[in-house]
Amino acid sequence: MSHDLVIGMAGSGGDGIVSAGESLIAAAAGAGYAAIMTKSFGSQIRGGESSCRVRISTKPVLNPGGTLDVAVALNWDDFLKFGAELPVGGNTVVIYDAKTGVAPDKLPLGAVVPEEVYPVPIDALARQTAGTDKAKNTVILGLLAGWFGLAADDLLAGMRKKFAKKGPELVAANEKAFEAGRNYAAEHPLREPRFMEPAPPGEPKLLTDGNDMCAAAAIFAGCRFFGGYPITPSTEIMQFFTREVWRHGGAVLQAEDEIAGIGAALGASFGGVKAMTATSGPGMSLKSEIMGLATICELPLVIVNVQRGGPSTGLPTKSEQADLFQAALSAHGDVLRPVLAPVSVRDTFGVTVEAFNIAEQYQTPVIILSDQEIAQRKESCDPIDTRAFKLVDRLQPSAADLEKYVRFRFTESGISPVSAPGMPGGNYLGSGIEHNEHGDPTASGGMHAKMNEKRFRKLDPLKHRRDLFETYGDPRAPLALIAWGSVAGVCIEALERARQEGLRARLLVPKLLWPIAEEVYRDFFAGVQSGLVVEQSHQGQLYRLLRMQLDVPKGLQSFARSGANPFQPAEVVARLRETALAVQRQGAETLTPVE
Amino acid sequence: MNCQPKDYKSDLKPIWCPGCGDFGVVQAIYRALAAVGRPPHEIAFVSGIGCSSRIPGYTTAYGFNSVHGRALPIAQGLKIANPDLLVLCAGGDGDGFSIGGGHVAHAIRRNLDLTYIVMDNQIYGLTKGQLSPTSKLGLKTVTSDLGSLEAPVNPLLYVLSYGAPFVAQGTPADMAGLASVIEEAIRYPGFSFVNVQSPCVTFGEDDWQLKQHKAVMKSVASLGHDASDVIAAMRLAQAYGSELYTGVLYRAPQPPSTYDALVRERQAEQQKKALPRERILELFAAKKKETAA
Repeated sequence: MSHDLVIGMAGSGGDGIVSAGESLIAAAAGAGYAAIMTKSFGSQIRGGESSCRVRISTKPVLNPGGTLDVAVALNWDDFLKFGAELPVGGNTVVIYDAKTGVAPDKLPLGAVVPEEVYPVPIDALARQTAGTDKAKNTVILGLLAGWFGLAADDLLAGMRKKFAKKGPELVAANEKAFEAGRNYAAEHPLREPRFMEPAPPGEPKLLTDGNDMCAAAAIFAGCRFFGGYPITPSTEIMQFFTREVWRHGGAVLQAEDEIAGIGAALGASFGGVKAMTATSGPGMSLKSEIMGLATICELPLVIVNVQRGGPSTGLPTKSEQADLFQAALSAHGDVLRPVLAPVSVRDTFGVTVEAFNIAEQYQTPVIILSDQEIAQRKESCDPIDTRAFKLVDRLQPSAADLEKYVRFRFTESGISPVSAPGMPGGNYLGSGIEHNEHGDPTASGGMHAKMNEKRFRKLDPLKHRRDLFETYGDPRAPLALIAWGSVAGVCIEALERARQEGLRARLLVPKLLWPIAEEVYRDFFAGVQSGLVVEQSHQGQLYRLLRMQLDVPKGLQSFARSGANPFQPAEVVARLRETALAVQRQGAETLTPVE
Repeated sequence: MNCQPKDYKSDLKPIWCPGCGDFGVVQAIYRALAAVGRPPHEIAFVSGIGCSSRIPGYTTAYGFNSVHGRALPIAQGLKIANPDLLVLCAGGDGDGFSIGGGHVAHAIRRNLDLTYIVMDNQIYGLTKGQLSPTSKLGLKTVTSDLGSLEAPVNPLLYVLSYGAPFVAQGTPADMAGLASVIEEAIRYPGFSFVNVQSPCVTFGEDDWQLKQHKAVMKSVASLGHDASDVIAAMRLAQAYGSELYTGVLYRAPQPPSTYDALVRERQAEQQKKALPRERILELFAAKKKETAA
């Protein structure tokens, strides 16, 4: 029996590989499994190679998994193009189309020799049953259902629904193709059964990707205006708004460029409406100036950066975590702009709501640093109780305030009540030029210093937000891991594996990346002798920010590499072990012995 | 509401040089706003950067003196979010036709009900006398010591060609006329554009000051111009730089639907399918909950 299965599939553009993955995760979610699906394409807009991986589990999953348990290749040329994204190991069950003519003992996998290899006449079965090779992906689903006991009823129901619009003939043809796959599996049993255990009972799962989750959370948080410009891999956020926001009384503007997108959003916020924009790295570069305007005007605004590989156009369809410096530091003048990062699709909900709350509470722009991996992967996850979330609205002036309204009044907290056009008595001038308490432009150095101090002071409470951090593992372990964004899910699993291998470690997952919550890190570092900050960037940007702001333990190192090369739990464990050994060699006595 | 021009004047003292055309523009705006009669708190005035972009601060309306070239996107977001506001947008020729030039075409085709006033002085005044997008070919400035090599943008023709439904020009040399076109622009239900020839006393050309305006300006009405004829309007606009025409060049007789009105219609239509925000995650339910038959 299996309780966790990672399936990787690849084929040519028209083979319907991604569609098969979508069907698989929908069926798995319907049957109550937790699951993650990622897809990957060549750079062609249509055609070319495409692949997906689906991880299905009886327990919550936080990353797409490492080495495949099952590999499906419709042809080897396409499969091999995905290299490290679809790693095959000795225990991988390899299924491929017999039409490729490759002998089972001559697979083009170099030194890797999988023990179980099944050349299946996938193309032939599709043609025989459905009369077309277009049903190849349905045959594959039948094979997976047969061999791994994957939610056959849900798969069939999903298929019927999917093809219902196209007529009963197509439904019947696909049912036959599915049965052919399932029968083939029954006639050729695996050496040892690898049936999935049934999913534990529970509330129905949610199935979506990070971008849709972000947009839904924004609407839940009360966002009623979206201004933006299409850019991979963030565009689905705007697309969700164009479908959904109207019925909540909001609006969306596809602007003429990135600057106009954030400009319109800031205009809406000036108008008293919760607003957001979303983009990726190149768009962030263009939006910088208006983010500065939001800071000095003290207006709430949420900016989502779904990170992709950079600089410049970089790797538009691949994940990277190299925009942290930009998010934290890219500004002229003294700017403190909160930066939050979700760790999963499910977590994107809470982080997005929090971003709006912080933006409103402190009248500041807030950046959500998502990444392509989270934004575009599909997750079957546990439901979210929206009643658990409190929503914050910006502090409005009281009737007494409005009698002699002072927009940027110096207060103890640094937060001044903010009016909006339409409010009698609240009239003020918002400006990018430095201003006094009343909003009148000033060139006074003294006033500038006071305003800077106010704009920084109001954000002080953020540095004490322990709830924006998660910790895992043994809180007194000498070994530490720190990871953020999509890499956090890899490290949570790595920590568990390390424990099983006798390595005691603790893990800190910051969702608030900036400002650096010094106390939280200091507490976490107490007793830490060595460890790793694991990041998907060349420089290891969080590691460097930490060293800029804090004294970090001597043995804390950066484990960083460029994007598009996903980390796997096993290599994090291996690196952690090396780190532990290095410290041990230096004679650190308090370390747990390492085998 | 009985409003007086002084109701729209703030206590802030303008930074403009004595004799600047913009003093006249702000006076004309006070008069136009008083004639329209909306109270100051229902008015939002957005600008970019430049001498002229200081103007919102000199009114009692809600003002937003933003960044260079981005007044129009900000004004549009504001109007969409709060369509009941009277939204004014203003800036100089650099703001509107150089750094922010790309936004003008889109503001026009989107056609929100707002008014865009450009104070066109053919020079960069705040930065002390560089070439602007409307500077004449051959003009000598600190960035063109030997004369400009570029032909100017024609703001009137620019907005007419993109289909602006209301286009007018004025000069503070004719205060009554300027106040009247601004008022008409505000009242027009759609994107309205007013180009104001507002001379720079410090860096502008000596032979193109209010005195000269007064001598050469011609009201298009006195020429028998039919403001519903876009081709005739374009013909007059061609003379930008050689003639100073004032008044309404074009007023689309049948105002096209505004974006803000279409947004309201769509919201009303979609709100029939309203979903309480607490239930938004139901969109992602892997299995619909069994509903009672």
